[in-house]
Amino acid sequence: MPWQTQDFAGSSAPVRLRESPLGLAVRRILRKRSSRIAFFVLGVILLVGLLAPLIAPYDPAAQPDIVKLKDLPPSFAHPFGTDPYSRDVLSRVIYGARLSLTIGVLATIVSLTFGVAYGAIAGYAGGALDAVMMRVLDAFLSIPRLLLLIGVLVASPQFSIGALVVFLGLTGWFGLSRIVRGQVLALKHAEFVTAARALGASRRRILWRHLLPNIVSPIVVAATLGVAHVIVLEAGLSYIGIGVQPPSASWGNIIHDGADQVATLWWMSLFPGLFMVLTVMTLNILAEALSEAHERR
Amino acid sequence: MLRYIAQRLAQAAVIVAIVAVITFALIHLAPGDPFTGVMDNPNVSETVRQTLRAQYGFDRPLPEQFVKYVNSLAHGELGWSFSHERPVREVLATALPNTLLLMVVALVGSFALGIVIALVQVARRGSATDHALSGVSLLFISMPDFWLALLTLLAFAYWVPLFPVGGTVDVMHEYMGFGRRVMDRLWHLVLPALTLTALASAAVARYQRAALLDVLPADYIRTARLKGLTERQILRRHALRNALLPIITMIGLSFPALLTGTFFVEKIFAWQGMGYAVVNAIGARDYQLVMGGVIIGSVMVTLGSLLADLLYALADPRLRG
Repeated sequence: MPWQTQDFAGSSAPVRLRESPLGLAVRRILRKRSSRIAFFVLGVILLVGLLAPLIAPYDPAAQPDIVKLKDLPPSFAHPFGTDPYSRDVLSRVIYGARLSLTIGVLATIVSLTFGVAYGAIAGYAGGALDAVMMRVLDAFLSIPRLLLLIGVLVASPQFSIGALVVFLGLTGWFGLSRIVRGQVLALKHAEFVTAARALGASRRRILWRHLLPNIVSPIVVAATLGVAHVIVLEAGLSYIGIGVQPPSASWGNIIHDGADQVATLWWMSLFPGLFMVLTVMTLNILAEALSEAHERR
Repeated sequence: MLRYIAQRLAQAAVIVAIVAVITFALIHLAPGDPFTGVMDNPNVSETVRQTLRAQYGFDRPLPEQFVKYVNSLAHGELGWSFSHERPVREVLATALPNTLLLMVVALVGSFALGIVIALVQVARRGSATDHALSGVSLLFISMPDFWLALLTLLAFAYWVPLFPVGGTVDVMHEYMGFGRRVMDRLWHLVLPALTLTALASAAVARYQRAALLDVLPADYIRTARLKGLTERQILRRHALRNALLPIITMIGLSFPALLTGTFFVEKIFAWQGMGYAVVNAIGARDYQLVMGGVIIGSVMVTLGSLLADLLYALADPRLRG
């Protein structure tokens, strides 16, 4: 293992710098063909979202001719067809990639912040505080996330996409903080932590410099799965009409617009869904490869 | 054992209590109250709104409201559904049996199918079949529930019209004999149950495959192999038995996902269960019904995981005694 090859015994070989656990994991998972393909596909989807204004053939919100151009099946002019407002579905799916991925990543950052803080505090503090914090977590975990979100979103009459991101993030950290707590608990009495404490390091320093860097891998795995979850959840909420509000296009939102006439407007369900499945699948593959790489260590 | 059960029951009670606090907080910390949503008609005057608020006790101090809330929850009172013009309790009580039927069928179906798939995979581990099945499970766990439901509806109700487009029973249900009625209900159950089963069994198969591969290196498996048992006997008698315990845990853990899936599937196939009622209530801004659904759903999940833990204790001889 590279980070153990540091040789202090005056060997003439150059001392190899310690590679970060994450960099090592990434290098390791790229050895697998399936993860290389997943990386590539995810990269393409990210690029599509990033370059949406350059790629999209039409304005995603434009309603050019609501009589003649509505509900058109896929054709050369409109590869994914048009919707009941005569908007081009392909352009909406491309812009949808941008919005759905952004929401997924931002909400996961919110979840990570809360989950890591909560789990690290509970695990490091231990005792009564830990017990109380875990019971509260149990309660949150026993409300299905979709129901919790439905409760919150229905209670807020008007909300922006930013608020949606915060809600999605705030309902997504429970499982993660349990993982973090378990890891911190397991490492709390490790020798390097005792050594740091003996050297007079503060609690904060021990948590940030010694404990957290050692649990990066499970956190990254959880975050990868978290992004996938949020994408599906946002789509579900948008599908039932309480997620991303029109005229913004997200993958779930597009499906929502065509769901009442799914028999005739099948292209409105099929195409955004395919993009979603592809994204979620690549994220799942990468998460699995990452956790395998971590276990093999 | 008794002590464990008592502990676990107390824990479930605490969880339900915290759920009550959370739902109360959701209702009251959110901007507005049930009447801003339902009554956003400009013709409804502020006086009428105030009267309604007073009638429902929304003008009382929060602690008082909370005591009242807990008290009515304990009595099974969940409020009044504006869109159904009936108590929420009644609306959900008529819907619940349909939801439970769908969930039980999907649960049994997905665990049976998932375990069989895992056994096939592990018996031929590393083969093309194993990889193909892993790929298919990965595909299904990556699918949003509502999207698969829409595609299933499209494929088997519209393009190849084998099954009804939606509903719980046919319009002529009331005029059928007993046998026909049962058949009619099953006929309507096929597509929603199939969708849920497909989604859940993929997760079960992945989990069970890993659990089986986990026990294979164990000493007792090596002993069985040395005794001359065939690979099939080893898998069925020794590996599966020991890998079934985590399945019980998995049943408990799968309730939230199953319930969530049921919500979407019911909406899409117009299956008249709790999910159908709640999702439609969102559209109608029938806030009390939505919150009632959230509470009942959470209680169901809590009870589910409690039941799974108790089953686990019963099934694992090491915890008995």
